[in-house]
Amino acid sequence: MKRDRFERWLRRIYHTQDEEISCSECFDAMAHFVEVELSGEDPVIKMPQVKQHLDQCPACHEEYETLRDLQRLENEDELPSADDLQDLIP
Amino acid sequence: MSTTRTNEEWLHDLNASGALQEAAIADLRDLLLRAALYFFSRNLGDFRGLNGDEITQRAEDCAQDALIAVLKHLPDFRGDSKFTTWAYKFAINIAMMTSRRERWKGVSLDEIASSEESNFFEWIMQDKSDGAVPEQSAMQGEVRSIIQDVIKHDLTDKQRHVVSMMIFNEVPMDEVVRHLGTNRNAVYKMLHDARRKIKSSLQARGFQVSEMLSLFSTSG
Repeated sequence: MKRDRFERWLRRIYHTQDEEISCSECFDAMAHFVEVELSGEDPVIKMPQVKQHLDQCPACHEEYETLRDLQRLENEDELPSADDLQDLIP
Repeated sequence: MSTTRTNEEWLHDLNASGALQEAAIADLRDLLLRAALYFFSRNLGDFRGLNGDEITQRAEDCAQDALIAVLKHLPDFRGDSKFTTWAYKFAINIAMMTSRRERWKGVSLDEIASSEESNFFEWIMQDKSDGAVPEQSAMQGEVRSIIQDVIKHDLTDKQRHVVSMMIFNEVPMDEVVRHLGTNRNAVYKMLHDARRKIKSSLQARGFQVSEMLSLFSTSG
């Protein structure tokens, strides 16, 4: 567990760039990034800096994953209703 | 149904008045509530001790806050995504802050920050080289020692504090932000600066960082 954490951190050190975008810039671009990804294109080609930030920032990455999954459900017309979601909460 | 509006229809209806605007706001609020509930349903472990009604109330509060944020930022919507995708991110962001606050409620970050520095350095230096040949093990020790030196001598107190909290103690970003009374950008920059200093020190001492990574990945 601790070793995983150390290795994960080393990986982030290794992938550190001199210039990285901020969390606000990532937030601004996130919806577009998800849109591109769900359209089947590779968002990394269009927005490498956003991908780089997502790899470095667990908070932004978790938001991105949730947004992507939620939007995928909406696109497939499978977004659960508020009542259905409340049923998942004990 | 709310989700079938086009982007233009969303903007038109939200900027209208009377019943049209009220319907759009109600539909938007419903979507934001679903986004908050969706986030919570994936993170139920953050809400131990709360019952379903209390969790739902937290989601209602998030939806309300997100609605205010979306309406405030409406002029910033550039149309480079679906309107709903853009709107959901506000609800997810607020839901995440709420969720982490619940999880860390009652934990003193002051205590964590003040008492754990020695454990932090121990963690960096710990020998986890099972299976590594002696030469590999020695190099791992050198890498760890360089990292420790940079943290001790080259980072500012605040950078060290943030690295210790987030990397060693795995305190979530938003809790660190709250603890320091700052914002995500500032905390991210501190982490970024710390990573840059460590990376450049490793490189200056002859460690190509990619080699260093394989050095650790191949051991026990």
